[in-house]
Amino acid sequence: MTEEPNPVTQRFERFKEHKFIILVGSTILVSLFLVGIALSLYASSGAAQLDLSRVGYKEVRDKADRGDTFTGFPATGKIDKESLEQFKKLYDTQAKQALNFDSFGGTPMTDEALSLTVPAPVIE
Amino acid sequence: MKRYLLLLSLVLATLAGVATVAHAENEQPMTDERVEVIRANCKEATVTLDRLHASDGLLRVNRGQLFESISTKLMTPFNNRLNANQLERGLLPTISEEYVSRLDTFRSDYQEYEKSMTRTLAIDCTRQPVTFYDAVVETRTKRQKVHDSSVLLQDSIRKYRAEVDVFASKFKEVAE
Repeated sequence: MTEEPNPVTQRFERFKEHKFIILVGSTILVSLFLVGIALSLYASSGAAQLDLSRVGYKEVRDKADRGDTFTGFPATGKIDKESLEQFKKLYDTQAKQALNFDSFGGTPMTDEALSLTVPAPVIE
Repeated sequence: MKRYLLLLSLVLATLAGVATVAHAENEQPMTDERVEVIRANCKEATVTLDRLHASDGLLRVNRGQLFESISTKLMTPFNNRLNANQLERGLLPTISEEYVSRLDTFRSDYQEYEKSMTRTLAIDCTRQPVTFYDAVVETRTKRQKVHDSSVLLQDSIRKYRAEVDVFASKFKEVAE
């Protein structure tokens, strides 16, 4: 009398035969999943907007400030006339740069600037 | 009563009509002629927008660093140092928190603007001139929001500086 093969055992045997392919496939799936999460974070966190290595920013890439030259005001130490003057001087230097420029101002996107208006008829 | 209601509805309808006409007069209507103008000039407009997109990206990085450094390298350490010396900080922490909040708004406004600009640049403006124009209008509005956010940041920078002077004068009085 022959025993009927157990379907679970059969499946397990098939798994054992192809375990390398299953390992490679599952590794690829996990990698794709993690890359998907990373790209989603890149897009949603705002990092994409700051990434000057993107296509379209080639001409301005070299003009980015490195931003590591300003050391700031020390968080420790006593407060006296000298330290207050030091802070004011540091703050005024940075504030001057921030206040002397109208960021994202002007009218570069008006219909006139982009030539998207019908020109007014010339009255003779 | 009926006569009164009829008169009121006539007045309201007239006012609504005037408002509609006034609004329409502020914008050029989207006529066939206008669509053709947009179609004819949109390639040049796209080049201009592309250049603006790049320069705004650079501006965002540089200004962003500046705004960040004012918060992290000036406001925060100064507040902390005052706290460590057990000195009355007045409105300085409140203004710093307001600044950080406005900085977050600036970042998110810029993100929305940049996404809108990218979508606008991806539109085939010769095939979809009206869609392109609508996208330009939307992007323009979002850019204005970024500008408004940066103006608020500048306001907080001024306020903090003024409050530092208030603190300094009080400190001087106490020291004397």
